[in-house]
Amino acid sequence: MAASFTTIAARRFCYGLKPRETPPSDIDTLMLQLQKGPKAVPRFPREGVLGRRETLGRLVSVRTVEARAAQDGRPNPGLRQETQREAERLLRRDALSRVAQAVYSENGFFERLASFWVNHFAINATKTYEMRLLAPLFEAEAIRPNLAGNFGNLLKAAVLHPAMLIYLDQASSVGPQSPVAERSGGTLNQSLAQEILEVHSLGDQAEVTVADVNGAALILTGLSLDLRSLEVSNRPGRAEPGAHVLLGKSYSDRARNGSDHLEMLTDLANHPATARNICNKLVRHFISEEVNPDMLNGMIQRWQASGGNLTEVYRAMLEHPAAFAPEASKVIAPFEFVVSALRAFDVKGGEFDALVNADDDRDGDDVPPPDGKVPPRRKPGVARLLTLQSLRRMGQPVWEPPSPAGFPDDAASWLMPGHLAERVAWARIAVRLLASDVTPLALLDMVLADLAHAQTRELISAAPSKVHGLTMVLASPQFNRR
Amino acid sequence: MAAHIQFRLKRRGFLASLGAAAALSVLPNVSLAATSGDRRLVVILLRGGMDGIDLVQPYGDPNLAVLRPELTLTPESGLIDLDGFFGLHPAASGLMPLWRAGHLSFAHAIASPYRGRLSHFEAQDVLETGNPLGSGSRTGWLNRALALFPRTASRAAVDITTSVELIMTGGNRTDVWATQSDFPMAQDEIHSLQALFQTDPVFGKAGAGMSDLDPLPPIVNPQARIAGIADLARLAGSLLAEDYRVASFSLAGWDTHQEQKRDLAESARLLSEAVLNLQAGMGEAAWQQTAVVAITEFGRSLRLNSTGGTDHGTASAALLAGGAIAGGRILGNWPGLAEGQLFEGRDLAPTRDIRELLAALLFQQFEITAANLNAKVFPGLGFEPSSLFVKTN
Repeated sequence: MAASFTTIAARRFCYGLKPRETPPSDIDTLMLQLQKGPKAVPRFPREGVLGRRETLGRLVSVRTVEARAAQDGRPNPGLRQETQREAERLLRRDALSRVAQAVYSENGFFERLASFWVNHFAINATKTYEMRLLAPLFEAEAIRPNLAGNFGNLLKAAVLHPAMLIYLDQASSVGPQSPVAERSGGTLNQSLAQEILEVHSLGDQAEVTVADVNGAALILTGLSLDLRSLEVSNRPGRAEPGAHVLLGKSYSDRARNGSDHLEMLTDLANHPATARNICNKLVRHFISEEVNPDMLNGMIQRWQASGGNLTEVYRAMLEHPAAFAPEASKVIAPFEFVVSALRAFDVKGGEFDALVNADDDRDGDDVPPPDGKVPPRRKPGVARLLTLQSLRRMGQPVWEPPSPAGFPDDAASWLMPGHLAERVAWARIAVRLLASDVTPLALLDMVLADLAHAQTRELISAAPSKVHGLTMVLASPQFNRR
Repeated sequence: MAAHIQFRLKRRGFLASLGAAAALSVLPNVSLAATSGDRRLVVILLRGGMDGIDLVQPYGDPNLAVLRPELTLTPESGLIDLDGFFGLHPAASGLMPLWRAGHLSFAHAIASPYRGRLSHFEAQDVLETGNPLGSGSRTGWLNRALALFPRTASRAAVDITTSVELIMTGGNRTDVWATQSDFPMAQDEIHSLQALFQTDPVFGKAGAGMSDLDPLPPIVNPQARIAGIADLARLAGSLLAEDYRVASFSLAGWDTHQEQKRDLAESARLLSEAVLNLQAGMGEAAWQQTAVVAITEFGRSLRLNSTGGTDHGTASAALLAGGAIAGGRILGNWPGLAEGQLFEGRDLAPTRDIRELLAALLFQQFEITAANLNAKVFPGLGFEPSSLFVKTN
């Protein structure tokens, strides 16, 4: 292996180097993380998966009681605001924990894949107040346990999660000729069908017709959500009767138990276009926007041979020589930028947790300036300033992608001048807050190890001050490419 | 007064809430230490290597115009005469009322023990530790001096130190207080960052585009920088009016490798703003007891380079301000600018050690003995109370 294998492995496939953490030395070490990752309990939801279900139940019943009282002419806006605030607070804690999870996990490849898949099956935590609690749960129970297994299982877990059904309004979809529609109206919603076909499985390069989307939407009727328990439910009364056609195949649900949409998801997972779409997206994410056709074909073959076993597909990617090519062509996204910098500064786990906890119920101290002339300024918690607020400013707020297609994954989207300015601003604050007595060149060696170019080194060593030199390390093109 | 009390309570609350995570200190812009007594000291670090000959020009020296005709001014072309030999850069004209009041002076041809011009990092380490390169401890001289202040019992400080402002780092407790700011960059910082971006075409384009944005991002917004520095200095002043007796902060922007004419003027204006806002923030009574000293890690070459700037040099000047200093004069020994008088044929020669000036300020403001100064603050210095930097009334 080349000398820089470990550096490339850490930067391209994990969240970068971290002091005292041994970077992956070979492909097997990276692959081993896929076994360890799902066994480690993630830091979110804070109260655990079962605890979060209880929290959800509590919030939903409070809301239900309030809604009933409001119907009786006794609305309680205070109660509504309180549940809203509680949901906001829990989301903030979980989002901070998601950053901490990526920073402290030693299974960087697994964590990067979790981010990849949570972006592939994009949901937005701000869609409704329940979604603020569901989004972390979605990642913890649908994505992370399934990302190293069979793609079909991952697809079903993600699509059939209440978070996805709420995000894409599936609960409101009613077959036009279903009993429910006959009785009380309602319309077909095609959002979920469209995203399943065009994003989650076949992709936007596949030939999907309007009729296909309509067919898939009809097949999905009956798939719904119990708004009280927030569990997925099958409602035959909403299902469109008869058989529906997708990609030339006819689906019907004679048993009236939702078997047709499961069959559809299985077929979509096994479709050749899906293998191509997912493999292509993986290569574009991890390696380069210029997809190496040889690497892509190798991954697709492994997909076919293994029946969509994702571990095999990842291994095919890593085993291709282009995976460790020295050219760092990908520009890291803001989340990777923040996480890999926090890892380099080696913020101690306990300190970060202390900051997160201290941050909990505070919206910031109002600090009047000494002369009292200017309005008070907000002093947000340090942890939030360095993570959630900055990620928002850089364009990648946690669990809040702009559309069902997720955050963009190309250099052009992340390197508008305004985005770059935000990275520089972040670096300037971070080095003041986090850098201990470290010289710029020592930090450069920490983050880039044997990859640092002589020119980068020279320019940074000529910085007018250490603080600015450290800032330059984090703002450098080399740190921002992998 | 009421406003001050409220402010202090708020400040304590903020610091205490972060006490659990001291290593992640708040934005360390101003570091302060509280001591008893009324005398005060403010140390401003001019990072980047200030061209002392441009800020305080020896226009009476005939060699100046020969060495750097592009930068040399005369009273006829805008230079503000100070004593018939030296003149102040017009961008710092805001300081002239202080000069006339006897609250401003400059020490010239001084330097830290650092020689070699090579590295800002090393030279600033020497300036902040007060130790020659590679010797002595990695603590700041100002922090070491704190231990020697009289009446230590009343010293109140919270232990949130910064690892970046080395000058205040050490065993003695120092608060760190900060203004909320996006830290707008100085011109030299922008130049060096843009040069780094230029090593990658995509980053080069995005970097160049930052200054075309509307609104301008705070980090490249000169107006935001002026406002931020004024706030910072005013805050430091207001804290010094209360418990604190020592404060330190940095002003970047002095590494004028290119377009010095423009960039040094901007930095000089900001230095002048900082001093005036310090004074305004602390009020007249505290100002009378205060010594402000602005020091830099090295000076600059006398001759210009090909990009309209100067390169790293050796001796420079220091600014002194406040009611407690010997104002209205230029301190030090002028070495001259003739061919044989330059340091290594290119720089202003250092005739005094900058640590002597700092020791003199500690001696007169806080009654630290010469023996202690020479043993504990600046080991091996050889400071004497008869130093020309000690104010005599």
